[in-house]
Amino acid sequence: MAFVNIQETPLEIDLLEKRVAIPVNGAVLSFIGQVRNNSRNREVAYLEYQVYRPLALKEMLRIAEEAESKWGCTVAMVHRVGRIELGEASVAIAVGSPHRAEGFDACRFCIDTLKETVPIWKREFCPDGSYWIEGEDAIPTSE
Amino acid sequence: MTQANPVINPLERTHTRLIGAHMPTSGGIQKSLISGKEIGCTVVQLFTGSPRQWSHPELTEETVQLFRATHAETGIQELIAHDSYLINLAAPDPAVMNRSRGAFRSELDRASRLGISWVVTHMGAHLNQGEDEAVQRLIESLKLILDETDALGWTAGIALETTAGQGTGLGWKFEQLGTILKGVGDHPRLGVCMDTCHVFVAGNDIRDAVTFNHTIEEFDKLVGLKYLKVIHANDSVKGLGSRVDRHAHIGEGTIGFEAFRLISTDPRLLHVPIIVETPDAETMHAVNVGKLARMASGIIGVQLQLHGSYSDLTPDSTVCLELPCGSTLVELVDAAISAYPKLEGIRSHCRFAIKDTVIDTDTLLQEGDVVALLPPSSGG
Ligand SMILES: [Zn+2]
Ligand SMILES: [Zn+2]
Repeated sequence: MAFVNIQETPLEIDLLEKRVAIPVNGAVLSFIGQVRNNSRNREVAYLEYQVYRPLALKEMLRIAEEAESKWGCTVAMVHRVGRIELGEASVAIAVGSPHRAEGFDACRFCIDTLKETVPIWKREFCPDGSYWIEGEDAIPTSE
Repeated sequence: MTQANPVINPLERTHTRLIGAHMPTSGGIQKSLISGKEIGCTVVQLFTGSPRQWSHPELTEETVQLFRATHAETGIQELIAHDSYLINLAAPDPAVMNRSRGAFRSELDRASRLGISWVVTHMGAHLNQGEDEAVQRLIESLKLILDETDALGWTAGIALETTAGQGTGLGWKFEQLGTILKGVGDHPRLGVCMDTCHVFVAGNDIRDAVTFNHTIEEFDKLVGLKYLKVIHANDSVKGLGSRVDRHAHIGEGTIGFEAFRLISTDPRLLHVPIIVETPDAETMHAVNVGKLARMASGIIGVQLQLHGSYSDLTPDSTVCLELPCGSTLVELVDAAISAYPKLEGIRSHCRFAIKDTVIDTDTLLQEGDVVALLPPSSGG
């Protein structure tokens, strides 16, 4: 059973791994995306994530379920939104699978697809102002 | 429900329908007309006395003159009264019956003096002491009161309101309403008020064109559209057939917008004034009256919710727009860009969604839709 969530509070990776560490699985692995102090040659102070929740939750569940049926694994995936400081996790994906190869493939599929299709937007706060990130573009915030 | 932002570039209202609300009378009954006018009512419903008391202070000639003068000033085109909740013209107890008939005569007296055309009344309750007998008593009451007040030259008519079927209330089945009308006999001062919430919770679906048509045809067959003098437009908190009467804001209850679009544009009903009796009169009557006036003019109101970088390009991140009925997402995008040229970019590389579903450019939009604009994602 896939588990997905979107929350404003810090992510708890241990709890996420516990969800997928069921006895049929021989491998448990997790991916954590964390806030980096630089982006596109700019220093980053912190990030803010905005979400369109109704579709984001539905899309995350679709991705997790697709991975589960394709690789026979168990997926738990959580995204954090709101203000997130440097070094804090913004996204965490835990995958449990009978063998490690399927687990790695499933996890990669989940994070790649999430970045592509889940309606969440990142705003980078830098010393010279803030930038909305939309796909490949960084759009300076107009004040 | 919060009030929406103001509409950018509103479209012209072209309808001639009488639309209004049940307006509060605190500070004097004429206040209902002033506040009604302020929120765009062309018809107003009011209590001429306190709805939870048997006796009312005498309506002085001074009050009548002030009310009539205010009526003329505001130009409100039609006035409706709603009677006291205590009145039971089908009461089994003779003492209650007497009291009810007296109180109802007084309702008609006050309404006639104030220039009100119809007094809407619920049809009373049988209180588990024989439904058929109660119907007969109600017929007797109506005949008696119509005759007496005809003789006095009173002008206000009686509009029997379709009820929700709560408790032992009469008149929630169209057949019974038909029986009552037949029993009293045709009379120019006898009519019917159809309440959308009551009709729906009493088991008549009106949520789409097919069910709406069916219900109106049934009503015509069993009651008679010629009797229809007032429509109460209320959405419902409770479901179809629940027989529980709780009003919701237009389009936000279990009935939904389509029924109200149909009721405000159906050619068979165009001559019948529409009144909303929804909660939060002070803040929400204006919104609900506005929705009906918009629908009567063939206009839909939709909201475009901007995300990502676009949410900084307009004064509010939600933009309220009006479109002709039948518009698609393409027209919404055009209207948004013409209101805010900075939004030009939304044409090329964004997705759009309603609730949890991504929509195509040819998706037909409906009154009340909230369309989310989704720029390319950057989660992770
Ligand atoms: Zn009503
Ligand atoms: Zn009601």
